[in-house]
Amino acid sequence: MTYRRRMTRLRVAVGVLRHNLGGLGTSVLALPILIAVFLGLLLTPLGRRAVRRVADRERARLTRWGPPVIGPPPLPTGTRDALRDPSVRRELAWLAVHGTIGLLVGLAGLSLPIYAIEYTTFPLWFRALDPSLGGPGFLSGPGDGLTGALEISVLGLVFAAATIGLLPGITRLQAFPGRRQLAPPPGADLSLRVAELTATRAAALDAHATELRRIERSLHDGTQNRLVALNVLIGAARRAQDRNPAAVAELLDRAQDATEQALAELRAVVRGILPPVLDDRGLASALAGLAGASAVPCRLDVQLPGRCAVSVEATVYFVVAEALTNVAKHSGASAAAVTVRRDGERLLLRITDDGHGGAGLDSGGSGLTGIRRRIEAYDGRFTLTSPPGGPTTMDVELPCGS
Amino acid sequence: MRIVIAEDDALLREGLALLLRAEGLDVVATTDAPAPFLDAVEEHKPDIAIIDVRMPPTHTDEGIVAAVEARRRRPGLAVLVLSAYVEQAFATELLAHGSARLGYLLKERVGRVEEFLTALHRVAGGGTAIDPEVIGQLLARTRPDSTLDRLSPREIDVLALMAEGLGNTAIAEKLFVTEGAVQKHIRRIFAKLDLPPDDRADRRVTAVLRYLDLGR
Repeated sequence: MTYRRRMTRLRVAVGVLRHNLGGLGTSVLALPILIAVFLGLLLTPLGRRAVRRVADRERARLTRWGPPVIGPPPLPTGTRDALRDPSVRRELAWLAVHGTIGLLVGLAGLSLPIYAIEYTTFPLWFRALDPSLGGPGFLSGPGDGLTGALEISVLGLVFAAATIGLLPGITRLQAFPGRRQLAPPPGADLSLRVAELTATRAAALDAHATELRRIERSLHDGTQNRLVALNVLIGAARRAQDRNPAAVAELLDRAQDATEQALAELRAVVRGILPPVLDDRGLASALAGLAGASAVPCRLDVQLPGRCAVSVEATVYFVVAEALTNVAKHSGASAAAVTVRRDGERLLLRITDDGHGGAGLDSGGSGLTGIRRRIEAYDGRFTLTSPPGGPTTMDVELPCGS
Repeated sequence: MRIVIAEDDALLREGLALLLRAEGLDVVATTDAPAPFLDAVEEHKPDIAIIDVRMPPTHTDEGIVAAVEARRRRPGLAVLVLSAYVEQAFATELLAHGSARLGYLLKERVGRVEEFLTALHRVAGGGTAIDPEVIGQLLARTRPDSTLDRLSPREIDVLALMAEGLGNTAIAEKLFVTEGAVQKHIRRIFAKLDLPPDDRADRRVTAVLRYLDLGR
């Protein structure tokens, strides 16, 4: 096996372990809620919301590790309606399995790598173990000195092999009830998802049209006007040639100013369509340019192995540009920070500032609305935390699309 | 000639004023938005107003609205509308109340100073100046079964120039023919299109434009 393949295997094993741990986490959450449900808490809206919350958490987790698990329609308000709701019933069925059997499966899955490490390393620390307390893990005795410890470490290798061989299956088993019960039942009405997709698509087209309008306007009212002015000035200079040659120099001066302005505006428009630097140097350099030009000092931390789809990089670029403009205009911040990371197939972007906060999607921030629309158009996620008094944090998650 | 200018782009506004003043014309006020423009028209009572179509706040058709309003307040005010691009809807709106003392030109025509000044004087003197681009679009748009098919290519040339607002002399000059020949063409055009014969420039323009589906 080559080094690279071995590393890939290791990465897969670690990924599966994380998947398993995540599942264990939701079953640990599920258990007390299950008990609470037994105690009658399902009759209260709070209890129903708790069930929905943990189910949503599991849906998000499963979506991260496989095909997306689509959520149900919003909870009915009345107790009777809620108890009759098929998606609530399916969630309860999942809760019963995941909070009990799921918990045990998760623990079993977790124990494999733990034993693997514990036993394999036993020869290194067997002397620290008091033999009267029994052996490591589930073994009754530590065996006979170093030889016994080495025998146990062979057992550790068996557990390591079991981890690599069985853990994916165990993890799939652990995820099975969720995939079955938390997804919409076969043949269910997917109209909600369709409505959501339609809305995000409309928002994407809207964002697109807004973009085109912005470009059209900057070309018409900027560049074109400069050229018209240039044309007027040249016309005036030609007329002045015969009658008032002294005026020609000034007219030509102005004409040159107009030309330079036209060029500057054209550059700005082109940069606004798709920044050339994005193509030439990649996202990190493009963002460095933005951070450098920001009115508020901005720390930049980009760790992004590989490239994402061009449109995704462009979206990140515009979101950062818009966000930094907002920070400079509204936040009163003295410092901002931009972080970009890659997590599997997702790009994570965080923009923070130490300003006075209070930014909201409703508070007339058309910039924020634009940002949200752009992100939703890519099926991404956008969270804004901006309590009065600050600080403001903007979290963006986008599929890399590459 | 007393002129009021409404143009929101500072460079263009000053350039235009500079050009007109160099020609010995009296630019009495330059404004950058519809409201001050209307005030300036009331205050200075100009002979002609030059106005840009796209102005604040929305940068869409504020200039057209302001031009129509200025003419409502001061009937007979000559208005020359400048536009970055040709939009038939704008022309239709402007010409809804007749084509006398009205101009609608692309901004870039200003650079051809002699022709621009001719158009300016024509509009101020009661005539019409419609951009060749508008006329071109209208002629291109007419239906295949159109009665325009009955016209010879030469007659279509004459029709287009007539629609721009040019008089017989100017048309003859542009086409390098005699005025008599132009008159003959025009009589034939009017006959083929069932338009009432009339020699006054703006009546001719209205007739032609109406025929071309504009200015209803």
